[in-house]
Amino acid sequence: MRLSRSLAYARNVAVVEVEELARTYRTSTGILRRRTVEVEAVRGVSFEIAKGELFGLLGPNGAGKTTTIKMLITLLLPTAGTARVLGLDVARNAREVRKRIGYVFGGDRGLYERLSGLDNLRYFAELYGVEPRVQKLRIQELLQLVGLAGREREKVEGYSRGMRQRLHIARGLLHDPEVVFLDEPTIGVDPVGARELRATIAALTDAGKTVLLTTHYMFEADALCDRIAVIAQGRIVAQGTPQALKAGVGEGTVVEIEVYGIEDAVVERVRALDGVSNVGLEARDQKQVLVVQTLPGRELVHAILGHLHGSEVGRVSSREPTLEDAYVALVE
Amino acid sequence: MKSVRVFFVGGLISYRALFSWLNPWVYVPSFLVMPIFQILLFVYIGRSAKLQSDSFYVIGNALQFAAIPCLFAMANTIAGERNQQTLGYILITPARRLPLFLGRALPVATNGFFVALFALVAGSAIVGTHVAASGYAPIVLVIAVSAFACTGLGLINAAIGLVARETAVLSNILFGGLLVLSGANVPVHDLPIVLRQVSEGVPLTHGIAAARKLASGSSVGSVLGLLGAEALIGLAYAALGYALIRGTETLSRRRATLERA
Amino acid sequence: MRVARVLAYGWFFRMKMLMRSSFNSWLGVLYPLFFATVAFFMFKAGADSKPLLYSSLGAAVMGVWSNTATPAGSALAQERWHGTLELEVAAPVNFALILLPLTIAMSTIGIYSMAATLLWGWAVFGIPLQITDPVAFVLAVPATVASIGALGFVLAVAFVRFRQAWALGNMLEYPVWLISGFLVPLSLFPGWVRPISWLLAPTWGIRAIRGAALAGPSYGDIGMALGVGAAYVVLGLLLVQRALHAARAKGTLSLT
Repeated sequence: MRLSRSLAYARNVAVVEVEELARTYRTSTGILRRRTVEVEAVRGVSFEIAKGELFGLLGPNGAGKTTTIKMLITLLLPTAGTARVLGLDVARNAREVRKRIGYVFGGDRGLYERLSGLDNLRYFAELYGVEPRVQKLRIQELLQLVGLAGREREKVEGYSRGMRQRLHIARGLLHDPEVVFLDEPTIGVDPVGARELRATIAALTDAGKTVLLTTHYMFEADALCDRIAVIAQGRIVAQGTPQALKAGVGEGTVVEIEVYGIEDAVVERVRALDGVSNVGLEARDQKQVLVVQTLPGRELVHAILGHLHGSEVGRVSSREPTLEDAYVALVE
Repeated sequence: MKSVRVFFVGGLISYRALFSWLNPWVYVPSFLVMPIFQILLFVYIGRSAKLQSDSFYVIGNALQFAAIPCLFAMANTIAGERNQQTLGYILITPARRLPLFLGRALPVATNGFFVALFALVAGSAIVGTHVAASGYAPIVLVIAVSAFACTGLGLINAAIGLVARETAVLSNILFGGLLVLSGANVPVHDLPIVLRQVSEGVPLTHGIAAARKLASGSSVGSVLGLLGAEALIGLAYAALGYALIRGTETLSRRRATLERA
Repeated sequence: MRVARVLAYGWFFRMKMLMRSSFNSWLGVLYPLFFATVAFFMFKAGADSKPLLYSSLGAAVMGVWSNTATPAGSALAQERWHGTLELEVAAPVNFALILLPLTIAMSTIGIYSMAATLLWGWAVFGIPLQITDPVAFVLAVPATVASIGALGFVLAVAFVRFRQAWALGNMLEYPVWLISGFLVPLSLFPGWVRPISWLLAPTWGIRAIRGAALAGPSYGDIGMALGVGAAYVVLGLLLVQRALHAARAKGTLSLT
């Protein structure tokens, strides 16, 4: 019932429609005695992205984010389910989909190193059939947008990580695509560069584009995304606005206590406390931090400290839950 | 005892780690099929130019092809450490350098021996040439010595590769040089005088000559001189190659020449 | 019109890229010279009646194939390694239009090797460069280069599934040298080899070049080289769609 209503909704406004999309990889090992292993990378995911929306896909390494994106951008055929971009089936109408989407992935690769940034852009402008008359102006505009103007004649091999990433973004926007897929675009970029990239990404939706973004940085997803889907082991485990996801962890508070060498039994006793929804132990510098999520309206700091009696305790603080807390609770 | 293990076990492990050609998709085309076509190419050129017997080219090219496994594998297993950015980790170990580096030469030479032997047997069968029965066993020995000598040149190649990095380019050029100089296809006495002198000093020349004599029925005694010369040349190259590798290592500690990947 | 633009700009772009890799270009010129040198020594010493220019031209075209076979065979593996294959496939243009200019650029680079071999033969072995029909020669060279590039295109597509395609391309260097009759007349081979030779565009290319240099007009052979080359392109076009579909199904477009 819920599904059919959402489909009716999708026919009007959804730009990306994904239904029960699945992908299985078959890998063979051995030369003489070949053994085939099936790996289910994506096990039936469904979501929709509305026009102009910035949609985040979060999940641990190997959860199926990139596989999902690759199916949506026509590089990989789904083994089950369907996906449509702008109403076009990604498996059957690959060429029409390709004309209308842009794809940017993070990292060093995917550029012709020996040539200049300008050469790289010109070449892809040809491959995307950008009219010769339009090309020059468009490339200049994009160089301005990503802040590479003036550096475009240098060889890419001399570019920094951040410059490469910005060149990737310019490349992905050459043909003015309606939908842009960004796969971990800020990975390995320094904080200032990443901040500039986020501003560029935010500007995309302002210009009316629909964006699908994957990232490992929770604050980034929190700041940029209208809606988020969390994917774990090939399945979507939660979906909604960042606020809704945070609320899902509970409206309670997060208590953080610095400890020095705490026994597992103590952690378990804290976990067993009434009103505690989740407990984690993180290593930070020389100390450990006990992160306790509590249910709303419960004041548990004293109870927790009571259990820590005998261990050395440092700073104690409490705060609102972040998207990262929500994420950790979801994928663990 | 530790050094013995570094030599045998370490040598084999690093050979497998760094020489990606052991994959059958590379091994079969590169080491089993290619030498046969090289033999055929020169057999037909020889027939077309109405020159030497088929057997001349079968033996010459089968042995000369040992240069491919010996040069490429030796360079890859030593200079390849740089590409993989593992060289630094190797150089900070306390392992003795002689077994560390020469241990990698043993699998290289063994494979070179096998490749040349296979090329000779398969090439003879396909072209239809024969080897005198008395020659079988000694030719196997000649091929082993030639592969060893070629591996010596490979060590020099590896040393240069450590500095120059473009190991494939250098290996190809050395292979081409041996194609011209080793007498595989052009009899040494047909070469200009300068090249003839160089030819006397490169690996394979004496080995190929010895194999040809044995195949045509000459006695083992008559090729002992050639065999000795081939072995000596191999030793000299190996010693020089090892010295160059050590020299590079010392130099790098002073000038950081091996640091940049 | 669009197709012509993509092909022309693609060729120009790839030429630019190939010319920047100086170390490999040097090898591309040097490596065939070793084989040419051996061939020149052999034919000089031999009792063959054919002029030395016959073998010099053959050795020169060997260089074109040498510069195409290995890199074309592994062209897709290279693009995959650099992470550019996915981006090229994700572009709306037919992938064949991206790949064909790449392999033709490779064979075009082979012209350096061709010139170097002819010069080497002239300077060191005193082989004169006499050309009977310059017009036909000037047409035969690009026709041969393009048809060899087209053969590289088919290889690139055929080897798309093989990660170690460079080794397969490398393996094909000698056989094409041999049975295209670059140095050895086809009449020396067993009868069953001849139809294979006829299917190889380089066979017609070297005939056209040699004909123009040694005999006279060789337009028939030029036409054959171009015709067989065009057939390769059609074959490659058909194969490329199937290959890409298979790659999308198996998920082998990227390394990750």
